[in-house]
Amino acid sequence: MRPFIYVLFLLTFSLLLMTSCEKNLEEEVFSELAPENFLKTDQGLISVLGAAYHKSNDMASSGTNRQLVGVEEFCTDIHWQLGGGAHNVDGLFNDFTWDANTYDFGWNNYWRAILNAHIVIESVEEADISDAKKALYAAEARFIRAITYLQFYQFFGPVPLRTSSNDPLALPRASEEELLGFIESELLAVLPNLPNPGEEPNYGRAHKAAARAHLCDFYMMTKQWQKAADQAQAIMDLGIYGLYPSYPDMFRVENERNEEYIWVRVAIADPNRATDCEFMNVCFPADFAKDPVSGLEFDPKWFNFGSNYKLRDNFVNSFEEGDERSKPILKVYINEAGDTIQALGNDDARSFKFWPDPNAASQAHGNDIPYFRYAEILLYRAEALNELNGPNQESIDLINQVRNRAKLGNIALTDFGSKESLRDQILKERGWEFYCEGKRRHDFIRMDKFVESAQARGYTHVEEYRERYPIPQFALDSNPLLKQNEGY
Amino acid sequence: MDALTLTCTRSCFLSNTPFMCIAIIFCLAFATPTHASTNNWKIETDKEVRGKVTGKDSPEGLPGVNIFVKGSTTGTVTDIEGNYTITVPGDESILVFSYIGFISKEVTVGARTTIDVILDEDVKNLDEVVVIGYGTQRKSDITGAVTGLNEEQFNKGSITSPDQLLQGKIPGVNVVQNSGEPGGGISINIRGAGSINASNSPLFVIDGLPIDNGRFNNTGTEGFTETNSSRNPLSSINPADIESIDVLKDASATAIYGARGANGVIIITTKKGAAGKTKVNYDGYAGIQNVSNTVDLLSPEEYMQELNAIIDAGGGDPSQRVESIDNGGTNWQEEIYADNAVVHSHNLSFSGGNEKTTFLASLNHFDQDGIIINSGFKRYGARLNLANKVSDRFNVGLNLTSTYSRDDYVAVGQEVNERAGVVYAANNYDPTQAIFNDDGTYMVSPWMQIDNPLAIANGKTSINNTFRTLGTVYGEYFVLPELSFKLNVGGDVRTDERATYVDKTTNWGRSSNGVATIREGTRTNYLFEGTANYNKDFGRQSLNILLGITSQNFISTSHTSTASGFPSDVTGANNLGLGDPNFTTSSSNKSGNQLASYLGRVNYSLQDKYLLTATMRIDGSSRFGANNKFGYFPSVAAGWKLHREDFFGPLTNAISTLKLRVSWGQTGNQEIGNYRSISTFSSGSRDRIGWDDQQYLTTEPSRLANPDLKWETTEMFNVGLDFGILEDRINGSLEYFQKNTKDMLIELPIPSSTGFDDQLRNVGSVANSGLELGLTANVLTGAFNWDLNLSLSTITNEVTDLGGIPQIITGNAAQTTSGIAIIREGDPLYSFYGWEITGIWQEDDDFSQTTDNVEPGSIKFRDVNGDGTVNGDDRVILGNSFPGLIWSVGSTFSFKNFQLYLFIDGQEDVEMFNAQLGDTYYPSNFRRNRYAEPILNRWTPSNPTNEYPSFINEFSQGTKAVNSYTVEDASYVRLSTVQLSYHVPTGSGSRISDLTLYVTGQNLFTLTNYQGMNPALNSRGNANFRVDWNAYPLATSFLFGVKLGL
Repeated sequence: MRPFIYVLFLLTFSLLLMTSCEKNLEEEVFSELAPENFLKTDQGLISVLGAAYHKSNDMASSGTNRQLVGVEEFCTDIHWQLGGGAHNVDGLFNDFTWDANTYDFGWNNYWRAILNAHIVIESVEEADISDAKKALYAAEARFIRAITYLQFYQFFGPVPLRTSSNDPLALPRASEEELLGFIESELLAVLPNLPNPGEEPNYGRAHKAAARAHLCDFYMMTKQWQKAADQAQAIMDLGIYGLYPSYPDMFRVENERNEEYIWVRVAIADPNRATDCEFMNVCFPADFAKDPVSGLEFDPKWFNFGSNYKLRDNFVNSFEEGDERSKPILKVYINEAGDTIQALGNDDARSFKFWPDPNAASQAHGNDIPYFRYAEILLYRAEALNELNGPNQESIDLINQVRNRAKLGNIALTDFGSKESLRDQILKERGWEFYCEGKRRHDFIRMDKFVESAQARGYTHVEEYRERYPIPQFALDSNPLLKQNEGY
Repeated sequence: MDALTLTCTRSCFLSNTPFMCIAIIFCLAFATPTHASTNNWKIETDKEVRGKVTGKDSPEGLPGVNIFVKGSTTGTVTDIEGNYTITVPGDESILVFSYIGFISKEVTVGARTTIDVILDEDVKNLDEVVVIGYGTQRKSDITGAVTGLNEEQFNKGSITSPDQLLQGKIPGVNVVQNSGEPGGGISINIRGAGSINASNSPLFVIDGLPIDNGRFNNTGTEGFTETNSSRNPLSSINPADIESIDVLKDASATAIYGARGANGVIIITTKKGAAGKTKVNYDGYAGIQNVSNTVDLLSPEEYMQELNAIIDAGGGDPSQRVESIDNGGTNWQEEIYADNAVVHSHNLSFSGGNEKTTFLASLNHFDQDGIIINSGFKRYGARLNLANKVSDRFNVGLNLTSTYSRDDYVAVGQEVNERAGVVYAANNYDPTQAIFNDDGTYMVSPWMQIDNPLAIANGKTSINNTFRTLGTVYGEYFVLPELSFKLNVGGDVRTDERATYVDKTTNWGRSSNGVATIREGTRTNYLFEGTANYNKDFGRQSLNILLGITSQNFISTSHTSTASGFPSDVTGANNLGLGDPNFTTSSSNKSGNQLASYLGRVNYSLQDKYLLTATMRIDGSSRFGANNKFGYFPSVAAGWKLHREDFFGPLTNAISTLKLRVSWGQTGNQEIGNYRSISTFSSGSRDRIGWDDQQYLTTEPSRLANPDLKWETTEMFNVGLDFGILEDRINGSLEYFQKNTKDMLIELPIPSSTGFDDQLRNVGSVANSGLELGLTANVLTGAFNWDLNLSLSTITNEVTDLGGIPQIITGNAAQTTSGIAIIREGDPLYSFYGWEITGIWQEDDDFSQTTDNVEPGSIKFRDVNGDGTVNGDDRVILGNSFPGLIWSVGSTFSFKNFQLYLFIDGQEDVEMFNAQLGDTYYPSNFRRNRYAEPILNRWTPSNPTNEYPSFINEFSQGTKAVNSYTVEDASYVRLSTVQLSYHVPTGSGSRISDLTLYVTGQNLFTLTNYQGMNPALNSRGNANFRVDWNAYPLATSFLFGVKLGL
């Protein structure tokens, strides 16, 4: 046999061998980013810090409605839900029949926020950025981590306390003291490193007043009344916040970034629905054509979801005569057939507080969703002082500030003979002031009225354990150390 | 036999057939005692014999013919010119000449010293060559489970893509249609399913090129709903170009494909030319199609009467009373389904050649309108297959095809409400309303957030153009007659461009002022492959050795741009620049992966009785983790041709052939997607944060790295019996297999407090086992000829290990239903998981036994744990998607020039979740239309039925849409195809060699208890998780065709 043929084939095969050598099997990544260099850059760190913010308050799509308002108000005297595919979950919140399989409460997103915060905290030192930025980014990341744990606690009570990305995979739930202690100490610790309000690099990022507002909220929740009153006072002392003159106009997209908003979720009407506010989509009645009071007509470019968030009649009827805060409530409307439909009276009134955005892009509206408003700081201080001292003039004055803005007359100290009676007044004021802002469940729990209120509305099976939501079943399934809340 | 007996106890349609008895007889045949044969050979004087071996058509001599002295181990092979020299022990010696494709010849030497032999081609043997991985093998020598179909056995009628050719034909191969749209997706499972997170689809190999069946565009375009399973990428291959399809089922056959072999391999071989006169063939047909079945919904009158009655009884919403029927109302299903949609197909091929070169060139045009208005599929294709003998030692060849296909999509998919597709809209829309308003615009129901079905069908257009070229070029060099080297280079380039526009006649288009999306993508792969083949027949023994090296590289890129806010609909998706610049987005992506592999196979045969096959493949994949780059996939198989044994003699009158096969092997599944083992930072389309009222992009880790990530390993044991009865008038194979997949890739939930909810790990196991029987019988011969084909298979699937997690509850139908199925140890994959309905609460029931919010007329669910409330803990398994029995019967009757072909197929003991029936029980809005039957027969105080609820307070017990009513028995028997053809007699002198006219009816009749549109349709796009929802229905079609050969 001619040897050159063998040589030829050997050559061919060697070539093939080379093309198939092991080195070729390293994965070549084209469209994603390798962590090594990326986290050394300012842009890289900002994008991960942004992811921590984003996941701690996910504004994407309509899920926000349930997360921010649904689970905080369907189980209270304000809202209930009917219709749409969402009802199979929301109905369980109406009826106090939720269980561990009902809803995830943003569980995974919040842990993502904490992971992203850890990546920032652990990477800043090695990054090629100024020391000032290192301190700022670390403080913001710790702030996000702390408020995420606070949000967790408000849903579930203690969760596992993870303080580094290197912690073991499975962790048990922390004790009450550990978790609460961590939230408080972290918020206090980052306070000096956070910028003054207005000096934050971008609107929507952390600042001192935001940290204090969370601390105030935290102290109210844990009934540390004096500390809560002090934090409220510290915000008042800044002198930069005040009450927006018109309650009904405050939530309109053209009036956001006003003097009353302390901490908001920034929304943009983007058609991609990544950072939008979709509350109006669930507030229009199914056949809504026109609001005869304001003259608002349904613009065909808006969306009207199958899911409907409805205000309970008793709540709408509880407003005092002349209260401007009830103005954004749709009580009667004209339907597509031209008939006038009575919404109030059928538990079907709607909150039009987050007034439709004239520049809405299909489902997406751009109204920022306030999380802490100055009015709340005033009412928190009023409540804290009442808890400390019983009815007192300062509390009354603070409440009157909020009432006056709503064009209501003053209440007088003499109207309140007891701490309880003023507390009840504050609860009412808070309902009128903050409906649709996701505060009600917290208020009921803090004032120990959650079960009472549910039973008064006929949900006699409600027991105290429902003040905490169940840890999602999938989380329990994946972590044997995690124990469910009692009662579930 | 367990699985077989099991299915017989069920209500299967064929339980009384004689096939079982035949199977049992064969099993008993093993018990026959073995007789050793004796050897009477005695020593004589040696002498040398020489000569030349030629074939009838090869007077120049046949190289590589095996010659041996009968009864000895002495043998030789002819050289290039066909000459040989052999030493024989004496004049009484008998020389045996054998050559693949020729009939063996025995010659007694006698006094001669020169013996020239002419061998006759063995036409029958040629037919029985089976294509296996990297080669071919005589069917009688196969040791693995391989089933082949040739052109005659293919499905007939309007066939869009090659996989439809084998639907229902091969035991163990479950082909489920995902969508009835032209070119619609198909899911294929061979021998069950072994994977949750990796693909369960088989590997397709076309003319030696393993193809990338990855899909494009299967995620939603803004405002346009897509089917869950995109159209079939194989539809760019012209089915008429295909000569044969061979399905490799067991590990012995598939292990040569290593990390891609676990789901079975389907080998497609295209037609080649043959030396001789140039043949011209034309095959064309045209026909009409109509929707095969619609759903029985409330008519306008029933809707008005029943919904109002429900309101009167205290249900619904009094403000939503049905006041009138506009213009007689609308049957929305009728409006969206086309009448007599046209399909036509034309194939023209030229083939021929001479001794040196053969060729086949074909042209193809296929055009199918969908049975939903505005949908369709067109294909223009061309093929060139060439083979050339450069010299006696050197062959080169080319197989190349290029196609252009165009998909016209209509919005159909598993979406709801404002995102709904046309089928969902039609099924839910208010039947009392007219299509148009007085001003000619589409009427939009105020009662539900769904657009007018016709607005969706007409106002949302989406057109996809696919250009695909694939082919292989090879060169083969014979160093020795028995030793050859082959170099095979192949490539597949597919470019898709899809333009979608949602215009302002639709709700979505109005709210965004028109939305246009352009998506472009390219998927490319190329193959380098070198194989060495050693083939030697030593007389009593023969040996075939294959060694090879192969590498394949895959790259895909995509680009999407979306714009909205158009001043006018006129430009559609043709000028994104006219959109509002603030709302214009674009994105792109590129990814790739590589395979580098070594393979080897040895076939050994002793006395043409005992067969042994061993294979090994070493596969390296870029997808595997750094610690596990290479996987090893071995297999062994043995075969025993019992009919060649002396002791078998007495049986040969009845049983002409009988071969026992046993095989074992390991194969892998690497279809896990790219970059799953490493950690990168990435950003989803909605990973944005609003700061300063602007959007900032955010990034986060994509996943937790797993450097140990590797392939799933499937270990399969197969025992098979091939038999021929009555001189092979009845032929068949019986197979039993056990297939265990371990190291299953599971997105193992890890404590989500890590920030990752899961990590892809190799932890689980799934077991499949089953019995398969394939039979062909020539029942009658003579003037009236009757051929029968039968296929039967059973499958049992069980999850055996989930890596420590108790269960995975999964699957949803958009927002309305989630957690449809459960995966847990001891049960089949994706078992339907929900509530059992025991009846309806009646007025005199004891309501104290429940704390749930029920009243007379409410559905009574079984309180499994007896705690007085029915919640998530009371769910039970309601069925699964693995058919206990899949069967088909094909029958061909011939009489004179007429031929009648019938094909009937069916499935037994299988369930499907009917999500639309779930919507009937839990409508998203009161005014949605529903299935008529439950509403018309609902519970009322005067009709205290125990079957249907009152529909008054549907949600009082929460939404329990997955229940024993909605998980339905999806068994069926279907008359799939009837074809009557007439062979026009042509005179002997005619230039026309063949003229056949035929009429075909497809999908004519289905017998089933299933209430949805079609039990054989699975819109979820996963054959082992059947959910019927908003499916594009199947068509019934009638075709007329002509075949002409010159």
